[in-house]
Amino acid sequence: MANFRRFRPDDLNKLSKCNLDPLTETYELSFYLQYYAKWPSLFQVAEDENGNIIGYIMGKLESSPDVYKFSEHYLPWHAHITAVTVAPEARRLGIGKLLTEQLEAAGDAGNAWFIDLFVRKTNHKAIKFYESMGYSIFRVVKEYYGDHSTDPTQNSEDAYDMRKPLKRDVKKEHIRTDGEKHEVDPTDVW
Amino acid sequence: MAYNKYRYGPPALKSSVDMQLQSAFSDGNWSTVVRLAAKRFATFKDPYYEAIKVSTEAQLQGTAEKCAVLVHVDELVKSKKTPDIDTLDLFEWACQDFIGYEIEFAETFGPLRARWVKANANSPMAVSCLQGCLEQWDLVSAQQIAATLDKTHANSADRRYMFWNITLTFLLSISPQCTEASRKVYSLLTVRQLQKAADITESSEKLEKTDKGLLTEEEVCLYYRVLLGHGTKEEFLTRLKSPKLGAIGQLKQGHKLLFCECLDALETWGEWDTIYELCRDALKLGLDGSTTPFFVCDLRIWKKFVAAATEATNADAALDEVQNVLKQFIELKDKATPMYKKNISLALLETTFRLPSTTINPNHENKALSPKVIQIGLFLDEYYERFAAFDDVKGYVAELGYEEAKTFLEDVLPNIPGENPTKAQQIIITALECRLRYTLTTCPQTLSPHPTVVEGTDQGKPFKCRVCSNLAKSPCEDCLKKLIIDAANAYSQVAADKELLAAIPKLDRDPRLDLALVMGNSLLKLSGLRPKLPNFAQSLWQDVQPEVLLQAVLLLDTQLRVTPNDNGLRLMLVQLYLLFGCASYAHQLWVPLDVKRTIQDALSPLFFDRISSISPGLFQGTRPLMEPLRAYYSQSLRDPSPVRIWDAFSSGSYTSVLDMAEYDKKLRTSCTLVMTLVEERRAARLFVGKLDIDIDDHILATDIVEDTTLVHKTDYGSFPNLESANGPPIQDFIRLGPGPSNERSHLSFLAEQYLDLLSYTPPKDYKPSKAAEAAARDKAYNLETLIRINTSLTDFLHKPPTPKLLTPPETNYYTALSLLSALVLTAISLPKSEASVPTIVSQTTQSLKTTLTTLRTGLLSPRSTASVSTEQTISSLCDMPAFSSVRDIALGTKLSAAFVLACHERETARDKSGRSGLHKGVVMEMKALESAAAKTLADARAHVGVLKGVMNESGWLDRLLDVVLGEEDKEADELTDKVSDVVDGRAGAEEWAGKVVESWREGVKGWGMVRFE
Ligand SMILES: CC(C)(COP(=O)(O)OP(=O)(O)OC[C@H]1O[C@@H](n2cnc3c(N)ncnc32)[C@H](O)[C@@H]1OP(=O)(O)O)[C@@H](O)C(=O)NCCC(=O)NCCS
Repeated sequence: MANFRRFRPDDLNKLSKCNLDPLTETYELSFYLQYYAKWPSLFQVAEDENGNIIGYIMGKLESSPDVYKFSEHYLPWHAHITAVTVAPEARRLGIGKLLTEQLEAAGDAGNAWFIDLFVRKTNHKAIKFYESMGYSIFRVVKEYYGDHSTDPTQNSEDAYDMRKPLKRDVKKEHIRTDGEKHEVDPTDVW
Repeated sequence: MAYNKYRYGPPALKSSVDMQLQSAFSDGNWSTVVRLAAKRFATFKDPYYEAIKVSTEAQLQGTAEKCAVLVHVDELVKSKKTPDIDTLDLFEWACQDFIGYEIEFAETFGPLRARWVKANANSPMAVSCLQGCLEQWDLVSAQQIAATLDKTHANSADRRYMFWNITLTFLLSISPQCTEASRKVYSLLTVRQLQKAADITESSEKLEKTDKGLLTEEEVCLYYRVLLGHGTKEEFLTRLKSPKLGAIGQLKQGHKLLFCECLDALETWGEWDTIYELCRDALKLGLDGSTTPFFVCDLRIWKKFVAAATEATNADAALDEVQNVLKQFIELKDKATPMYKKNISLALLETTFRLPSTTINPNHENKALSPKVIQIGLFLDEYYERFAAFDDVKGYVAELGYEEAKTFLEDVLPNIPGENPTKAQQIIITALECRLRYTLTTCPQTLSPHPTVVEGTDQGKPFKCRVCSNLAKSPCEDCLKKLIIDAANAYSQVAADKELLAAIPKLDRDPRLDLALVMGNSLLKLSGLRPKLPNFAQSLWQDVQPEVLLQAVLLLDTQLRVTPNDNGLRLMLVQLYLLFGCASYAHQLWVPLDVKRTIQDALSPLFFDRISSISPGLFQGTRPLMEPLRAYYSQSLRDPSPVRIWDAFSSGSYTSVLDMAEYDKKLRTSCTLVMTLVEERRAARLFVGKLDIDIDDHILATDIVEDTTLVHKTDYGSFPNLESANGPPIQDFIRLGPGPSNERSHLSFLAEQYLDLLSYTPPKDYKPSKAAEAAARDKAYNLETLIRINTSLTDFLHKPPTPKLLTPPETNYYTALSLLSALVLTAISLPKSEASVPTIVSQTTQSLKTTLTTLRTGLLSPRSTASVSTEQTISSLCDMPAFSSVRDIALGTKLSAAFVLACHERETARDKSGRSGLHKGVVMEMKALESAAAKTLADARAHVGVLKGVMNESGWLDRLLDVVLGEEDKEADELTDKVSDVVDGRAGAEEWAGKVVESWREGVKGWGMVRFE
């Protein structure tokens, strides 16, 4: 039922199976195309037989901007998962895992130290998903999201910054066991 | 369009400029800057100060000097001298509002920047000149700069210069900006350059970054893209097989893109042997460890592999090989992730279906329990509980012969959950069975032809159903009825079973949803709802059995309250409510889908298409209804270049560059974009009558001219489609009319242009000095515009596919406008001295008057208020698009006549000699037409009044429920009883009926605010 291939812009016309799901954010065109322009091989999709997109991952390889070089929050060369999503009908088949593993492999090939991502603190499914693949909480970003996914009375939600060390980090220097205790502000992450 | 580069402010001044001027400039103190710069220029004679002065003057509103900068730019262009780069920056900033209007970038700053780069190729600024030209989408100048840079940096380790040059030359060669004379040269040039690079790669042991061969995946794929565009098939095929640059060689390096892309090209050429070999070799790479095992184990690849084997020169051997490779993958299956496991199982199914039956079943044993049936069974053994099970097997089941399908449904499917199935497993099987039975009602093998005339009378049933043995139409109504009863029984069983209800949240999919979909779809078919063919009746109600259609909607709506997160069901209901004229309720269902930003282009037509003709009242909300859609286009199409194009260039993503350019082109010519412009204008005109700007002048309409092919890409992917591939998909049944198309979009655009012309009134204080000359100019302009619009309207209406792409009210409307524009054209060009009015004029007016009269007879009249039946009212409420076209045609007629009469009055007022003005006969015809239109408009207004009156009556809830579920004290038929059970009877349906009635009332209220003059 699925084909894995690189994203192409026409796929934006076939996103309904993924993006009508409330936990999947829809961005402006320039956001998708920025990734496609700069890291085309890190933007991968799974498609069904009719060309509908049933899963995708959007990622990048980068360091924090140079101006933050001396900040304690500076991040060295790493891979980042900007978005990963799988359509409800195609979940629990390992598609999310396959897409993530591809990005991890690209991270290793690009000699990155680790791979990281942000996830809503209440997105338990996704957190379980990342944990099952060896990711752990590195820090908590307070009020990272401008809305709350489950509680409409709140106007913000914390994010977990989760990480998995890549091959280069032999000594596992870039992860923590007590990440939940490290809180930072949204202004400390870029 | 505003120039991107200076969106965030003016450029920095040269550091040699003194502090006083610098700070005035950075504070935006423009008049001080002008004064100081003039002074400095007088003192130093440095033209840069003059440039500061004129550029700054362009910032001062309302001064005559505002445009002085244009003269300076023009001089620079003509001088042929190398310009000063800082001056260029200043001028470009100053001209940002003129570019695209008074001046073209490609004729001014583009060539100037190219000229500058030629003289300063080593400057770091050269690349920003390239970026500047690209962001203005001036491909000619960008290509020249890229070529200069390539030459200058021939020995650089930065490979991008060479590939920028190639990519830009290619982009130019396929762009309308390229002259025909250069096109061929550029095409050849790109192919040659890449061929050379490919040869270097092939012949070198190891390529260094400084070598000018093809190294990265992007570079290699660019080569193949260019070959597809400008090269020969032979070269493409030969290179595709080469060890380094071929598809398999690239796969070994972990590059899958070329392999994926080349298969489509090969298929269009019918190169089956090559497809077969490539798929075989690619799959084997996984088996022999050259790549990860499942690198290309996609269903698409398997399907192509099997299809190519059946077409291969030696098909028998090829098919053997397919089975052999598949067997090896099956052995690996246990190590695979569930996704690939499933792909392999599906590949097995696919192979079974594509192999000749003599191969898979050589002895023709048990035809019914065939290998195909067995394989579907084996697949479902593993996957029947999964969300996608139905979609996975639907196509295969639809391909089974009748006996096979029967055996599958009766003997195989029920036994799948084993000997002691749980209740949940049983119900999952029932839901799957019902859906597959439904699909089979759409397959020809379940019906056999039967003489339809029995004993001299036509039974209207040309088939005998092989399932129920009854005489049937297609689909078999008795089978559909039985399906509804079976599904309803299963549904009620679930509803009554606490254990089952408790188990549902743990299932992949709620079986009640599937049962409801079967019932809903079957009821829709039974109601007579069909895809809208050109000859479909004016009124939905004449085509269908209303009570059955309403039952379907009630049932599906009830299900949505049980499973509110199912987007497919929600989308289906949105369509159905639009069909019913319940637009405000459809909107309530639409909003939670949160269709925003990028996905709007593909999804918005599902709600907004034709919305102004269904329910104009929606546009009267506090927030402009279509604002987010318009904002999306304004944002994404703000610059002349594709969004983020420079990022792709600077990152060396050459295939991204090509795809982004293509995507951008399609977005600028999207049917949804046209829909946005047209619907908003139509709505505005319904209420205020006059619009601020012509559609032609809209910034988003820049790329739309008559020969533009407008692109439609509506995404129906989420619709629950139980239909087989033998007939149209579900959306074709439930949509209000044909989906968006190039033809319909153009017609709607032309209609707006025509109305713009008719509505034009010169400004009040416009008193040209040479009145006669100005009048002649106006007339010439009107004639030219009318000819163009009339020709295009007629052309689009007469294109062969057009009748299938319009609803009847749309056909009426555009036909009327085409007649009217021709009439106006003749009317204003007919010499007054002509003895008589040509018969074509009277024929056209007569035909228009007849149309208006016919349309009026379909309207409700105030005299009938007392006797309007429930059915008549509901029918009218559903037919608002037809009603809307009555108003549109009448108003178009009135405006056309008024336009001609106004011409006449202007002429006679200007020239009192009695020689000017229009032909007397024409004037008479127009007056008659005007009054016929006015009558129709008055009747249309009255129609709304009647509807309003009827809808304000009490008792509507019961009236609607009586239609849907039958009158309370009368016995209902079995189907109605079943539907009633599922929706919890009349009491359960009351809330729904309330919403429907309320929505109808709101719709009518909206129409009550519309102008009819
Ligand atoms: C999170 C998500 C991407 C997972 O995709 P998926 O393809 O279903 O995940 P996989 O099948 O690859 O799961 C791999 C493993 O993750 C874990 N996992 C995945 N979904 C889980 C769930 N709902 N509950 C518990 N564990 C889960 C399991 O350990 C699973 O392995 P298993 O199936 O063998 O037990 C998908 O649920 C999704 O798209 N959610 C909505 C969007 C979203 O939240 N994205 C993340 C934003 S940061």
